[in-house]
Order: sequence, then C-alpha cells, then structure tokens
Amino acid sequence: MRRLYLRIYFAVLASVITLALAAGFLWRQTSDRGPAGRAFEVASTLAQNALPPPGAPRAEQQAALERLAANLQADVTLYSAERLPLARVGRPLPQPGADLETGGWVRDLSGRPAWALRLPDGRWLMARTPRNRPHPALGLFITLGLLALAVAIGAYPVVRRLTRRLENLQRGVESLGAGELAARVKVEGRDEVAQLAESFNKAAARIEALMGAHKSLLANASHELRTPLTRIRMAIELMKDHVPPARRQALEQDIAELDALIDEILLASRLDAVEQLDAVEEVDLLALAAEECARYEEAELDGQPVNVRGDPRLLRRLLRNLLDNARRHGAPPIELRIARTAAGAEIRVCDHGAGVPPGERERVFEPFRRFPGSTGATGAGLGLALVRAIARRHGGEVRCEERSGGGSCFVVTLASRP
Amino acid sequence: MAERILLVEDDARLAAMVAEYLGDAGLRVTIVPGGEQGLARLAREPFDAVVLDLMLPDIDGLEVCRRLRAGSDLPVLMLTARGDAADRIVGLELGADDYLPKPFEPRELLARLRAILRRRSAGAQSGEVLRYGRLEIDRAARAVRVDGRPAELTAYQYALLLTLAEHAGRVMTRDALMDLMKGEPLEAFDRSIDVHVSRIRAAIEDDPKKPRRVLTVRGAGYVFAKAQD
Repeated sequence: MRRLYLRIYFAVLASVITLALAAGFLWRQTSDRGPAGRAFEVASTLAQNALPPPGAPRAEQQAALERLAANLQADVTLYSAERLPLARVGRPLPQPGADLETGGWVRDLSGRPAWALRLPDGRWLMARTPRNRPHPALGLFITLGLLALAVAIGAYPVVRRLTRRLENLQRGVESLGAGELAARVKVEGRDEVAQLAESFNKAAARIEALMGAHKSLLANASHELRTPLTRIRMAIELMKDHVPPARRQALEQDIAELDALIDEILLASRLDAVEQLDAVEEVDLLALAAEECARYEEAELDGQPVNVRGDPRLLRRLLRNLLDNARRHGAPPIELRIARTAAGAEIRVCDHGAGVPPGERERVFEPFRRFPGSTGATGAGLGLALVRAIARRHGGEVRCEERSGGGSCFVVTLASRP
Repeated sequence: MAERILLVEDDARLAAMVAEYLGDAGLRVTIVPGGEQGLARLAREPFDAVVLDLMLPDIDGLEVCRRLRAGSDLPVLMLTARGDAADRIVGLELGADDYLPKPFEPRELLARLRAILRRRSAGAQSGEVLRYGRLEIDRAARAVRVDGRPAELTAYQYALLLTLAEHAGRVMTRDALMDLMKGEPLEAFDRSIDVHVSRIRAAIEDDPKKPRRVLTVRGAGYVFAKAQD
C-alpha cells in the first residue's frame, strides 16, 4: 500500500510542476503584450519623464539617475540610444546587445542577470537587483520543495484513507482464501472501493453457500448411495438358492466394485473440498506398508522404519491404491520400498509389467485415465489420482518412473512434517 | 428363547429385509423408523440388543446412542456408511459395542450381532477385552479368541501377542520386544522370538503361511496389524 501512496503522491507532484512550467512558458510567450508588458511600458515612460532629455549634459543625467535609484540599492546604468554609457549608479552593467530590440533580460560575464529597459526616446536603462538578494533559482527550488511538502501533507490523509479501505478489503480476500468462508468486509461510503467491497461480499456469500451445499452433499451422499447398495446386497442374500452360485458371486463382486468406486469418488471430492486433514498423527510407514503388503500374494516389502505425520487412513489408502495399481496394470513380483530421506520419506512401488510409455507417465494420474493398449476392464479409475491428491495433502508428490529391467515404479515423496 | 432385537432404520425396505434375514436366523426383530421412537420403545420394552442406523431423519444415531447409554448398557451395533463424518469418530467414543459399514455382508451382520449378544451374556468385562476384527484378546482371562473360539497359547506367547497388540501399527524390533518382555517368566526353553511368533501365527492366523495379523518386516522386526478383517 506504500507504493500506491507514493505513486499518487508523485502523480500529483508531477502535475503541479507541469502546471507551473506551462504557466511560466505561457507567461513568457505573452509578456510582451500582456499586463506585465504594459507595466514595463509605463515604467520606461515614467523613467523617461524623470530623467532629463537625451541631450542634457552628463552631470545632469548622472544626478537624475542617482535620485531615481536612491533607495533601490541596485546597480543602474543609463545608455544612450547609440548604446553608449551616459550615467551609472553602483557597479557598471554591460551595454545592451545589438540583438536587443525592446528590452528584457541580459546576462553579463558573471552570469548574473540584469534587466534592460528601452525608454521611448531610444535610451537604455540597465538595472540589476542588489547582490545580497538570494539567487532566483534557489528561490525556485525552495518554492518547489515547499510545494512538494504541501502536496505530500495534503495527499497523505486522502491516500491513507483509500489504502486503509483497500487493506481492509485485502485482509477479507486473504482470510477467504485461507478457508474462512464467513469472512466479510465492511462496506463504507459509496465509491468504487465500497462497490468492490460489496461485490466481494456477494462473491464470498456465494462461495460459502456453494461450499456448504457441497459439504452437506458429501456428508449425505455416502449414506444415500450405500443404503440402496445394502438393500441389493440383502436381497441377493434373501434370494438364497434361486440364483446360481456363480451369478450370485458376480453380483456380490459388482456391488463391492460399485462400493469401492463410491468410496473413491467421495474421498476425491472430500480432498478437494476440505482444507485440513481430518486426523493427523505419527504414522509408522513401514508398519503400515507391512499390513498392506500382507493383503497381496506377490508383494515384497523392504526398507527402514520411518515415521511421518499424517492421516493414517489416507496413507493406508495411498499404499493400497499403489499396490492395487501394480497388481492390475503391472505384473508380479511387486516390490515396495520405504526409505528415509532428508525431507521425510520415500515410498517406491515397482512392478515387472510392461511399464508406462514416457508420454503417459504424467497422465496416468488423471482421473479415469485409460491409456491406449490397456485392456483391463477394471479400475483405471481414480486410484492414482487419489494417490496424487493424498501425497500432496501430506506435503509430497508422486511420479511415475521407468524401472530398469522393465516395468514401472511409482515414487511417492512425503514430508515428515507437512 | 429368541433374543429380541430393536432395529432403528428409516429405510423401510432395507429394514424389512434385515428383519426377515435375522428372523430366519432365529432372532425376534422389531423395526422403528426414527430415533425418538426407538428410545421410546426401549423405555417401554425389554430388548437384548439394538441395531442402529447412524443417519436417521429425526436425531442422529450418535445422539440416540448417547441418550441410551445414559441409563443402560444394552449392546448397540451401529450401521454407518463408510466415509461418513461420524465414521471417523466411530470406534473412539461412540458408545456403541460394534459398528458395521454399509453395504455390509448379511452374514457379517449376523456374526457381529451374535458376538455382542454373547459378550453381554459373558458379563461386563468388556473394558478388558481388546478387539481387532475377529480377534479378541481378553486381558482379564489372559485368553485369546478368534471368532469366539479360544486359541491355544502359552503364557509367554500370550504376553508376546499382547505386547505386539498394545503397539499395533508400529514396527517392533526383536530387541524392543525382548526389552518389553523382560518381566515375563522365561519358559523351559529359551526360544527365540521368531519361534514364538510362528507358534502364535499357527494359533491365530487363518493361514499361518500368509499371516495377516502378526506380520514380519524383513530386516526390521514384527508388526501387529492395526486394521484387521
């Protein structure tokens, strides 16, 4: 917000200076005919009236000039129409240059400006303000400095008020972004900032309503979807011997598959919707891996004990999905390695299957992705997408690599303290 | 005498099927569709167990359980849906004796229901029994059961299994196990931990060659599985 203040300040200052320069320029352009030019005409006529005529003796002209400049403490020199000195008071001033027609500023060698005034009868009166007056440029700088200060002081409260309201708005947006959906900002005044605040509040209310709807959908979906599944399962049981055992087993398998898919979809949307992990505790990754490996025929576990902080249910799901994926799309034996790393832990699940083509190694993590050539009818679903979502929730990542000697490896890195 | 079961379930068709199934198995089932009605019914009539759906139209199953527990230790089996918010706190302080996620295997419902009925008749020492799926470790009786059937273990093997179970989900090195077992009286043969573990497996695993309860972690030690069927 400081930068906004500085920008407004400099903009105001620049426009004030531009205005001053433009005014000065116009002044110069019009000074011949403007009121100031008239003032010089009057001054030269007055000077001529006060001075003796051009033909008067020099002493008389000198006396008249001294009288004229008595209290001015200025250097004054009188030149004839032929630009020859007639009389002077104080230090000598240079004669007006040949290019000078009517009058104006002239400079001598010292650089100090003097004013040349042409009298109606053709004589020249040169005048210079006393030496002890400050340099005019210094005055200009002081004026500009004071102006800058005045602008700064004048702009500060205006800008500060604006930036304070923007800061307020920024805090609101940030707390909304941090997941505090009830965050609203105070609407003050009726300007654009107030409108922005109002729009923000409306957007926040919409987001809150949507998230609320999403959460309540998630809370109820599992129950609503699984009750009918339970009914089907129960009905199969009650049919008893009317169904051939093979068909009955297939039906049970279908229900289990549908149940697993519901589980994955709900978990995926929960991971999307909910900011924090539900339960975080110290998890012995090697022990968890041992439990999951025991569920598979040809899975070998190797590694060292590592503890990570995380949700044990999600980490179990991550391991199970990786092993499932290796079993379904790879070929045994499946190797699972747990290793301790500087950042936390690394999980490596390798199979001896056909491997994943290089172009597909990133895309296997997309939901419901099937890559060309995959024949399996089951489970190319959300498994790996969930692995990625869970790894990221634990401050980690997952990637697919080629296994030297054939097959693929899925490598998950986890932070020990996400 | 048939045991009386109160089934609190708002899905009428499912409730009817469950009642039929349990009825075939010799249980007397009464159905109520809501939590308040369930509590009212429990106050009036004697039941042997309650099967309670977690999501009810009026008050949720947790609340029913809490209010029921205020004045009774009637066994409660809770039906949940996996992934429910409540599913996460189930097991912690639900107050239910057991829970079963939908969609459940009907046979499993019956088995669990029988198990909680049996436990109830066995007396109120439930705080002393550790349960891991179908495995029970009864600390009061220093006995181990699978599916309610006792498993034959020596005192040392029992102590080893209990030590492993108390550290479920942690890899225990042989040294750590030896340390924790120091207080246990040694048996005639000072066998290695490995031998004892294989004896324990023979007693409690469905397939001792493919252990699912006491697992070996090569190069590290043993782990007692936290999640068991």
